[in-house]
Amino acid sequence: MADLNQGRGRSFDTRVLWVEWLSRTAFAVRLERPSGFLFLPGQSIRVDQDGMERDYSLASGPGDDHLTLCVRLVPGGMLSPRLAGLKPGDLLHFTGPHGYFLYQSAGARSVFVATGTGVAPFVSMARAGARSFTLLHGVRTAQDLYFREELAASASRYVPCLSEDVTQGGFRGLVTTWAEGNLAPGSYDFYLCGNRSMIRDFTLLVDERFPGSRVSTEVFH
Amino acid sequence: MMMNGNVGSGDRGMTSLLSGERVAKSSVRIEACGDLDELGAVLGALAACLGEGRAELKREIEDIQGELLHIGAWMGTTPDSAAARALPGFTSGPLLSLEGAIARMEKALPPLSNFILPGGHPSAAWAHIARTVCRRAERRVTAVSPDAPTAAVLPYLNRLSTYLFVAARFCNKENGVPDTAWRI
Repeated sequence: MADLNQGRGRSFDTRVLWVEWLSRTAFAVRLERPSGFLFLPGQSIRVDQDGMERDYSLASGPGDDHLTLCVRLVPGGMLSPRLAGLKPGDLLHFTGPHGYFLYQSAGARSVFVATGTGVAPFVSMARAGARSFTLLHGVRTAQDLYFREELAASASRYVPCLSEDVTQGGFRGLVTTWAEGNLAPGSYDFYLCGNRSMIRDFTLLVDERFPGSRVSTEVFH
Repeated sequence: MMMNGNVGSGDRGMTSLLSGERVAKSSVRIEACGDLDELGAVLGALAACLGEGRAELKREIEDIQGELLHIGAWMGTTPDSAAARALPGFTSGPLLSLEGAIARMEKALPPLSNFILPGGHPSAAWAHIARTVCRRAERRVTAVSPDAPTAAVLPYLNRLSTYLFVAARFCNKENGVPDTAWRI
């Protein structure tokens, strides 16, 4: 752990390997992993492009030889359109690792809850060996279920929660609605990564229905 | 893209520690975090009323504000959690820096033979307020029973009170305001 502490906040330059669209509104950026860059599953990097900084969780496993970011395209946004336009070989500067959204438990009491590209840290945790967790992924349509097969293979229960379209299976409704009606009473280790309203509503649900639980959160735009 | 900020999940009096536990906002850890936060804010007020030519003191205060955030992170983290394993330890380096600063300022001050009344120049008054908040933060942190990675925290807070007392006298001297001795 000492190496990780020493590495926190260090600056790195890397090169883009590829950019691939995950859906119509989100894409993955794969980067070369700089020598000496260590991180824990759930941590993020701060991308600095032309003086603009944004934090992105890593979707890679800590043993992977590359780094993967999941980015939601924000039309008119300051950084995401630039990242979408990156080409293989382009230079990218970042600092990291940052954050304390860390997996710390094992077994069926772990519940991962994501909306949209907030699923990225859970991909990293699964690639680091996390198993037997419940994963709720809240998205608009099934095409937004990034990493579906990989996560379903690692999870003991994988629940797509679709707000608009259930023609390809899944629960029609919000992640909070599913948890309220389907998660057995008890205490859990909840990991919430997604938009503000989900994190607020889910945390309040935990206080009311699942006392004694732990709640780790990461807010995504 | 990740964002910082309040999402409203604490609207009913509960909050999450860095290590994930949901606790009442009146819990000892949150009380400690609150007093450390207050101390950082009071130090900001002190820095804001330092005059020109006090760059060294301002830099020291900024460093202290950073250390208080670091201590606050530890107060919000339970031992043996994943967050505790990833959080940088609180070393004795900041304590040594404080002791160096105390020695530097004391060289410029006359020996003290009486109790003094808090006050004088506004910057000195703020330093005295910061000292009292620091003592309260120290008491709160003591109640949390810091574990091994934070063993250096209590000596740091204890010395920080001394630093702020000396800084108050230093501010008065630098601004030509005599300390007021306590007379029975």
